[in-house]
Amino acid sequence: MERKKTYIEDIDRGIYDIKNEFTYKYKSDKGLTPKIIMEISREKDEPKWMTDFRLKSLKIYNSKPLPTWGADLSGLDIDNIVTYVRPDASMASSWDEVPEDIKKTFEALGIPQAEREALAGVGAQYDSEVVYHNVKEELIEQGVIYTDMETALKEYEDIVREHFMKLIPPHDHKFAALHGAVWSGGSFVYVPEGVQVDIPLQSYFRLNAPGAGQFEHTLIIVEKGASLHFIEGCSAPLYRVTNLHAGCVELYVREDAKLRYSTIENWSRNMYNLNTKRAVVDKNGTIEWVSGSFGSKVTMLYPMSILRGEGARSEFTGITFASSGQYLDTGTKVLHAAPNTTSSINSKSISKNGGYAFYRGLLKVAPNAYGCKSTVSCESLMLDNESVSDTVPVIELHNDDIDIGHEAKIGRISDEAIFYLMSRGIDEEEAKAMIVRGFVEPITKELPLEYAVELNNLINIELEGSIG
Amino acid sequence: MKIIDSEIYSLPKDIDYKKEYLKFEAALPEGVILEKINKDKNEIALDYLIAKEFEEAKDQLTPLVEESYNTGVVFYLPKDVKVDQPIKIEFNMDDDNPVVINQNIIVADTASEATIIIDYTSSEGVEAFHQGITKIFAKDKAKINVIKIQRMDNKAKSSDTNIGFIKGQGQINWISVELGSAITVSHYSNYLEGEASGSNLSSIYLGDGNRKIDLEYSMIHKGPRSISNIETKGVLMDEAEKIFKGNLDFKKGARRSKGVEEEYVILLDPTVKADSIPALLCHEDDVEGEHAASAGQINESKLFYLMSRGLDERKAKKLIVEASFRPIIDKIPFEDYRQIVIDEVERRFMDDKN
Repeated sequence: MERKKTYIEDIDRGIYDIKNEFTYKYKSDKGLTPKIIMEISREKDEPKWMTDFRLKSLKIYNSKPLPTWGADLSGLDIDNIVTYVRPDASMASSWDEVPEDIKKTFEALGIPQAEREALAGVGAQYDSEVVYHNVKEELIEQGVIYTDMETALKEYEDIVREHFMKLIPPHDHKFAALHGAVWSGGSFVYVPEGVQVDIPLQSYFRLNAPGAGQFEHTLIIVEKGASLHFIEGCSAPLYRVTNLHAGCVELYVREDAKLRYSTIENWSRNMYNLNTKRAVVDKNGTIEWVSGSFGSKVTMLYPMSILRGEGARSEFTGITFASSGQYLDTGTKVLHAAPNTTSSINSKSISKNGGYAFYRGLLKVAPNAYGCKSTVSCESLMLDNESVSDTVPVIELHNDDIDIGHEAKIGRISDEAIFYLMSRGIDEEEAKAMIVRGFVEPITKELPLEYAVELNNLINIELEGSIG
Repeated sequence: MKIIDSEIYSLPKDIDYKKEYLKFEAALPEGVILEKINKDKNEIALDYLIAKEFEEAKDQLTPLVEESYNTGVVFYLPKDVKVDQPIKIEFNMDDDNPVVINQNIIVADTASEATIIIDYTSSEGVEAFHQGITKIFAKDKAKINVIKIQRMDNKAKSSDTNIGFIKGQGQINWISVELGSAITVSHYSNYLEGEASGSNLSSIYLGDGNRKIDLEYSMIHKGPRSISNIETKGVLMDEAEKIFKGNLDFKKGARRSKGVEEEYVILLDPTVKADSIPALLCHEDDVEGEHAASAGQINESKLFYLMSRGLDERKAKKLIVEASFRPIIDKIPFEDYRQIVIDEVERRFMDDKN
């Protein structure tokens, strides 16, 4: 704890200024040092290769510049990254410290007090632990491994070593390197050959594990012919004092396997969410992404599917809801690297109260990937005149035997539709909310029930007072 | 894919183009100015050269052209004047005149109307070079149609920038035909600044051999109820590469504006590369923006039908490609130029692989 004080920031500098000074001048005394990394590794009692990996990642992190595109990251206190790394510094110490608006949101969502405190990072444990254990027993019978990453590293070291940060190497970008250096917590799932996991696994139950949080690593391996539905996320804004989230999600989908990965990211409004997610899909495998981005101050999130086996399939369904003070830069990347692969992308975004919703996507077809089919559809809805909505889908085609369709639409709620509903006795606010719910309906029906209900609640909250 | 590196890019200087390029036989209505550009004396040109608006539309290449142009046309249309006959500008680059760097300035006053055709060709085997800027001001209710045909030889290089400023209910309609040269860059930026300003851009391109094509079309909506439309159809074969960037940019204040952007590309060979970035940027809620892009092969059942009627594969493909181009070619209001384009497509299609 004493260390923490040393690193508390005193000068507020511009982003470009930091970039140079940070890498050259303050490398040793400001920011992360090998010593801190070694300490983290020692506390976790990790094997040597992992400690080395962390140190290597740290070197890469220090040598990489901040991204020069996308969201403005100048609010991110990169010099004091070390304070984010120490998890105990990130929790609010009592319920009273949680900001008013977050408390109100919890109330509007109808979450019980105990759970609210837990989600706010204040409480320790709560009832869902029991539920979690029940789920766990059933899975063990089927041979499924579902545990946290720390345990996995000890008990299934070989599997972890073979897959850990192979899909997202630390060289990928600055925050991947940071993740490699300081990762902590997260889920590990291994589904053996042919096993169908009927109930969705939810990492929601384990978010309170000590040390889990901003740099969690999720590693999922679905073996040949197996299937899994994994849900990650928090059902309400997870409030933290610190403001950087740089997790990694690596998904391995083997031959004929199927994985559905659902996330609802609803971070508190001071969060920089710079997450990296990637899946690699073998022959005839399927990856399905369901992704919702609501919270955070800045989000830059582009789940990527690498279709490397013939006949692999990827489906992306995403919704982004940007409100006041938010810059949500989201999208998806698909790489067709094998013949007869298919992908479909369906993205919707809503912006209101000066929110900035940005769809940025990449669809790439490699020279040998014949017979690929892909459709990309992006729709944006702007609820008022202060908001901004941009769509930039990049399409790169390197062979001719393909069938690609792309369309995008941008617009507002039509006055006629509102007028019609109001003429039927529905007040304006409700009419608007109905139309928005209709707009996101294709997404909500992809979500598990409790998340769908929550999404609807969120829309109600978000729309409150937006008309006038 | 970066075709031109602007840092090492420079233009050839002090090379004259001596041939006649401006063709207009009929008598001009009173007040119309139509002459070759002259650095020293074109008052209108100079007025608009330093116009504030163009400053914001500048890219890296603009200053280079403004410095070293050797050809170009200044065209001024006074209020209410309509010129019925097309203004023809034809550049034919050959061994003696291999370089055209042109700056064309067109100013259309209120409610005037005219059509301009600019045709670029080059002799076979000549390493011709073309770099140009066309700037158009269309004031309230003015209507300017510009048809650009680029069918230069495979040894040539061509880079063309077009900027349109549209005020009030003015309108600029572009038709762009890109059929030739080894490297072709074709950029269009239209600023729709007035209430109900309009702009249409229809283009076709054919990429064969090792051709590299860089297309960037922007519609910047500033005025309320402005309307834009981009329609692009292309064909890529052999080792051709193209990058297409289409930007629909709705600035604040562009209430009730509408923009539509469509891009279709037919891919004929496995070795082609096709990149598309159709961007939709929106700072105003009360707008309608739409873009669609598609890419794929020729419909096999169509091909089969045509071949069952006795056409060989190449001819059948050519017919389907021509059918795809035809709606845009038909927008060219002159029969002779329509035929020129059709012939050139046919020649490129039938010759190359034999």
